[in-house]
Amino acid sequence: MAESFLLKYIQEPDHGEVDAYVGRGGYEGLRRALGMAPAQVIEEVETSGLRGRGGAGFGTGRKWKFVPTDPAVTKYLVVNADEGEPGTFKDRTLIEGDPHRLIEGIAIGSYAIGARQAFIYLRREFHQGRAILERAIAQAYAKGYLGRNIQGSGYDLDLVMATGAGAYIAGEETALLESLEGRRAMPRLKPPFYPAVKGLYMQPTALNNVETLCHVAWILAKGHQWYRDQGSPILYSISGHVRRPGVYELPLGTTIRKGIEAADGLHSGRTFKACFPGGSSSAILPANFLDTPMDYDLAKLDVYGSMLGSAALIVMDDTTCLVEVVARTVEFYREESCGKCTPCREGTVWISQVFDRILHGAGRLEDIELLDGIARGMTGTCFCPLGESVPPAIYSTLRFFRPEYEHHIKTGSCDVKALARA
Amino acid sequence: MSDQVPIVTLSIDGRPVTVPKGTTIWTAARGAGIDVPIFCYHDRMPPLGACRMCLVNVEKTPKLVTSCTQEAAEGMVVSTTTPDVKAGQEAILEFLLINHPLDCPICDKGGECPLQDQTFRYGPGRSRYVEVKRDFAKPVSLGPALVLDRERCILCWRCVRFGEIIAGDDALKGFERGFTSEINTPFTLPAASKFIGNTIAICPVGALTSRTYRFVSRPWDNQRVPSVCTFCGVGCAVFFDVRGNTIMRTQAREAPDLNDIWLCDLGFFGHGYVQHAERLQQPLIRKDGDLQPASWDEALDLVARKIRATAPGRVALLAGARLTNEDAYVAARVFRTVVGTPHLDHRLDTRADGPSLGVSWGMTSPIGEIPTRDLFLLVGCDLTEEYPVLWLRMKQAVDRGAAIIAITPKALEIDRFVAHHLVHDYHEGSAVLAALAQAAGGDSPKTGEVGGVDLGRIALAGEALRGAKRPMVMIGKTALEAADGETMYAEVEDLCGKFGIKPSIMRGRGNAFGAALAGLLPNTSPGGRPLAQVRGDLETVWGAPVAVEPGLSGPHIIEAAGRGELDVLYIAGADPSSDVLDRSRWAAARSRLPFLVVVDAFLTETAQAADVVLPALVIPEKNGTVSNIEGRVQRVHAAVSGPGEARGDWQILSGLAVRLGRTIAYSGWEEIFNEMKTLIPGLEVDAIVPLAAPARAVSAPGAQKSDGRETAADGEYPLALIVGDVLFDRGSMSGRSPAIADLAREPWAMLHPDDAARATVADGDPIVLTARRGSIAVMARVSKAVLPGHVYVPRGYDAAPVNAIVGAGEAVTRVRVRALVTVAGGQGNG
Amino acid sequence: MKAALSEASKVEIRRLMAQFPQRQSALLGALFVAQDEAGALYPEIIAEVAEVIDLPVSEVTSVASFYHLYRFSPEGRHLIQVCTNISCLLSGCDRVLRALKQRLDIEMGGTTPDGRFTLKTAECLAACETAPMMMVGPDRHGPLAPENLDEILARYG
Ligand SMILES: Cc1cc2nc3c(=O)[nH]c(=O)nc-3n(C[C@H](O)[C@H](O)[C@H](O)COP(=O)(O)O)c2cc1C
Ligand code: SF4
Ligand code: FES
Repeated sequence: MAESFLLKYIQEPDHGEVDAYVGRGGYEGLRRALGMAPAQVIEEVETSGLRGRGGAGFGTGRKWKFVPTDPAVTKYLVVNADEGEPGTFKDRTLIEGDPHRLIEGIAIGSYAIGARQAFIYLRREFHQGRAILERAIAQAYAKGYLGRNIQGSGYDLDLVMATGAGAYIAGEETALLESLEGRRAMPRLKPPFYPAVKGLYMQPTALNNVETLCHVAWILAKGHQWYRDQGSPILYSISGHVRRPGVYELPLGTTIRKGIEAADGLHSGRTFKACFPGGSSSAILPANFLDTPMDYDLAKLDVYGSMLGSAALIVMDDTTCLVEVVARTVEFYREESCGKCTPCREGTVWISQVFDRILHGAGRLEDIELLDGIARGMTGTCFCPLGESVPPAIYSTLRFFRPEYEHHIKTGSCDVKALARA
Repeated sequence: MSDQVPIVTLSIDGRPVTVPKGTTIWTAARGAGIDVPIFCYHDRMPPLGACRMCLVNVEKTPKLVTSCTQEAAEGMVVSTTTPDVKAGQEAILEFLLINHPLDCPICDKGGECPLQDQTFRYGPGRSRYVEVKRDFAKPVSLGPALVLDRERCILCWRCVRFGEIIAGDDALKGFERGFTSEINTPFTLPAASKFIGNTIAICPVGALTSRTYRFVSRPWDNQRVPSVCTFCGVGCAVFFDVRGNTIMRTQAREAPDLNDIWLCDLGFFGHGYVQHAERLQQPLIRKDGDLQPASWDEALDLVARKIRATAPGRVALLAGARLTNEDAYVAARVFRTVVGTPHLDHRLDTRADGPSLGVSWGMTSPIGEIPTRDLFLLVGCDLTEEYPVLWLRMKQAVDRGAAIIAITPKALEIDRFVAHHLVHDYHEGSAVLAALAQAAGGDSPKTGEVGGVDLGRIALAGEALRGAKRPMVMIGKTALEAADGETMYAEVEDLCGKFGIKPSIMRGRGNAFGAALAGLLPNTSPGGRPLAQVRGDLETVWGAPVAVEPGLSGPHIIEAAGRGELDVLYIAGADPSSDVLDRSRWAAARSRLPFLVVVDAFLTETAQAADVVLPALVIPEKNGTVSNIEGRVQRVHAAVSGPGEARGDWQILSGLAVRLGRTIAYSGWEEIFNEMKTLIPGLEVDAIVPLAAPARAVSAPGAQKSDGRETAADGEYPLALIVGDVLFDRGSMSGRSPAIADLAREPWAMLHPDDAARATVADGDPIVLTARRGSIAVMARVSKAVLPGHVYVPRGYDAAPVNAIVGAGEAVTRVRVRALVTVAGGQGNG
Repeated sequence: MKAALSEASKVEIRRLMAQFPQRQSALLGALFVAQDEAGALYPEIIAEVAEVIDLPVSEVTSVASFYHLYRFSPEGRHLIQVCTNISCLLSGCDRVLRALKQRLDIEMGGTTPDGRFTLKTAECLAACETAPMMMVGPDRHGPLAPENLDEILARYG
């Protein structure tokens, strides 16, 4: 495996300092980019094969190409630093440990699409990250990596920090733009409001994830060929029942098993039961999928809702009650639903109520069909992907762990051990 | 046209459908007669796609799509009936119903509820929901007009979007999120809107209901009578929903070039007066100092006798906005020919020497064109207070990029949409206009100020004006009645000349325009042509000689009466006591008038002082036509019959004519209308009939000029008084419509925070306004909408008549403000 | 008490407004400025924010109510947010919550009588590597065990 680079310096105590960063080769990517035509920069990113790390996995270079090139049109770059997908914490890690990398990526991306103003939409709860970024931004301005005439190139860029205020849906790109405009974070209609064409203030906007932009900084610093040689590394956030939860830089397509091993395996005496391979919006997979690679092909499994998402692997061992886990997952979406569309707003409440009954010993056997039915009513009918994230956990557990539901309903309680034996 | 919209052909349920590109699937389907259920979509607003009810199947698309948001494309194959569509519709309805109380039997929306209808047609038949339903505190009241039942709300966002997109008042909003989302006002305060009735109309369930209509009637019991709202001059098309002999509610009638599908809340909730218990039911004659019931014969005989006993030139007619066109026409005919007096007018609330009397009131271009204009210059015209629905049309233009320049002594409520808001010192409007004209001409100083307005801002406004291609210019009462009104009007006319247009004179309420059209003016004939020009025609049709010398206009009639120059005054549907600018003038007139006849629906202040009072019908009880501010002639239908012996005005006038020795009888309004047609070219129902020519000012004998000087802003009376009209007031009709009276609240006055602080007055405090002539007690509203040194007081509050402290002879009335010291009510130790 | 925004807060809000092409973009930040100063978003405070940014009060209130980090009534000096999302659930956040409730002797959403702490649950706070975790004010703490709570709470006066 090629050497890890994304996380290489994050432990260095001085890495948030611009001098230390530059001393380790930082801002070289920006310098190189400024020497190229914007279109060339986009080309470089596209040939690197980089796909967005916010969850949708769309080709970053391709996305930038949708932004109109007309210089008379005001464009913006917006950084999605609202990291909220359960089980995901890599963006926070990068913000706190490598802030200049992010700033460098922002400057490169902005230059590539011709934006003169960029915004970081930062989750409110990232207080430490905010302080670190503010300091780094100030340094970058002082050293001419931001502001007027960056590094003598004639290119100007203004970078502004904006804040979230506690809403997971604000991570969805169009809801984020609404929020950044100071409104309720409710997703916009697509079409016509594709951010690349009609984004922030209805101007063309590139919207990218924190990790994505950090990759961009590396790609421009070292070239697309070098980047491809690294095996398309990706940051997996691994948590749950593993011995050493954390962010791991592993090649794209690492299997679930290898991922667990990287995190030092399960606690002793425990066996693997299930996992979310791509955050709580993905399907829950049982042990027979342990050797499945965690990559964009996950979606090709015949399990509805399997996907890489934000590469958050949540591992559950044999002590886990999956009815409780799914119930909690649905509750999360219920709490975070924006309330704009009917199926998500009402469906999440209804499913939660049914789970509540089951968990409190008042379940009925027909509730299993009911859960499936409500999930079906939400499938393909919601306004945005948040509501569509609810069915996968339900469908997959009803398929792989149905006896657990039945046990709960019949006995009025959970006996994980008994089930494991059965 | 060169740029034709391309068309696309798609198939919907196997039928080929061709529509212009850009049409949504839903609209295409509807055009083809295929019904797709909707809740959130409303064709006056852009699609939202929130309720998910309108799902359809589009071939080669993996998921169902919302037909209200998806554009039709060439070759698209759409199906609205496949099993997946059925399943989707059932799922959405089931979701919507899980938390719906299903209290249809007691819901006002029952029978006209889209949710009920869609459930019947597309619903799952039975719910699998066994959980406890969401529970909100019982219906909450959001002001005098609106009641919100959150349990019934399906969160379609229509009402919220109405406030954001159509009215721009943001009255209702979504609060919280997800399953706790609710529609409300901030902190459940009364809805701050003049248009909230529309949200009730477009709510697809019974979540928003009207206080005046709650539990009143079921739609199938109502009979809908098409009519026209005549509160303000816009003349919106309405339906009166009637049961028995009672108007249950008012609803908007679609009129694309007028009110579209909207009304203001005065229109929605103002009909209450029609059924008011205080309606006059029989004639009254003053006997032994008191008004006492009499028969029609007695009363009319008496009036006729008094008229016959005096010289024709000593009789005058003041007719107000309650008259239909036919009433007004017959009034003009009877007074000009039978009585033989030229002193007749419908205009009362103007200065005797101001510019209002010299111009024809009304708009110089149709309302339907407002949305297409690119600039509006509003001079002393408080649009949302005076002609509220016009704002909804103007907002459409603003959304398309049109700019508004407002020159006004009180900031407009639509502030956020006014690009150049020039709020000026009351007596300096003409100076601001002059500076604007100069700026529009391209040269102007950019620093300093004029009339309290920064010159830099005037320069920007001037630039905007210069760039305008299709401007519309409106000048209103506040400007025309100001001390410098004459100059302002001249400036405005000048500015308009540069664009080859004429200013719209935004004056006149009710059917003032019909009165002008029908000839209730001292110097013009029906249709607005000078009398001399049409005398021959008139005499042929009327069969009697007609004098061409101009008579006295409204304010001059009052003055003449005050000088003892009149013997009989016949007032129909006007209330000079509250309408004249300076109440003392009316008091003088009354005291010297030997005989006063008042024809009205209520015993107004004026009527209380009359010698004969005749009970009249109001517009919802009449058949005929009315005209609006753009000159549109519309039909009104009697929705209910009047109380007791109340009669229509033209019928009363016919009766009077007979007693004066001439038969002027008509079989009905149509006959009158047909006669009017012979004198008024182009007169047709639904046509826009402009007045032929502006009724130019005639200087009447003995008119009192204002001295032009203003009382200095001395320490004793430091504030300049601005008087204006507001939508919700407590006049004789509105004050008797309970919802409107509540909306109007107590009499109030608006003053700047600095002046309030100086007088140690806080918002909501009772205060006393004192001018040299007297005082009124009002509630303080502290706001930056007026400049320091000013106080704004609305007309129309009978309890605090501002015309009692205004002196029409003064250019600017000055007042002082004091907190009203109330004696502690015996509580505490004071 | 009539809450009012200080001139310093207004200046800060205007500074935020100046950063964005459209002033409403400053709203979320402005509401935090106001909330930090006044303790909560009281109606008068909302009206002041609305006036400074020049937005309808209804809009400001509506926006504020959407986001979970704004409050309309006062809370304790330190807000404890215990993550109860999946990774923390798997790592035993329930025990932590129970222990906290016991120690502080309050219910979820409650505030200690001395006004020191308000206890709330939170959705994933993006720190699952330290599950079970919580935030106290701006600080993250984890992994938590019922045993180390006292020591953490003691740091907040
Ligand atoms: C409900 C929802 C929440 C999301 N949350 C985040 C998030 O917190 N951070 C993020 O980068 N992307 C998030 N996304 C994905 C974004 O919409 C968007 O695809 C992404 O930020 C684009 O950046 P990328 O192309 O660099 O991946 C979320 C999407 C949805 C539907
Ligand atoms: S699916 Fe609907 S309610 Fe849920 S977050 Fe998206 S738009 Fe909002
Ligand atoms: S009508 Fe189409 S989504 Fe509501």
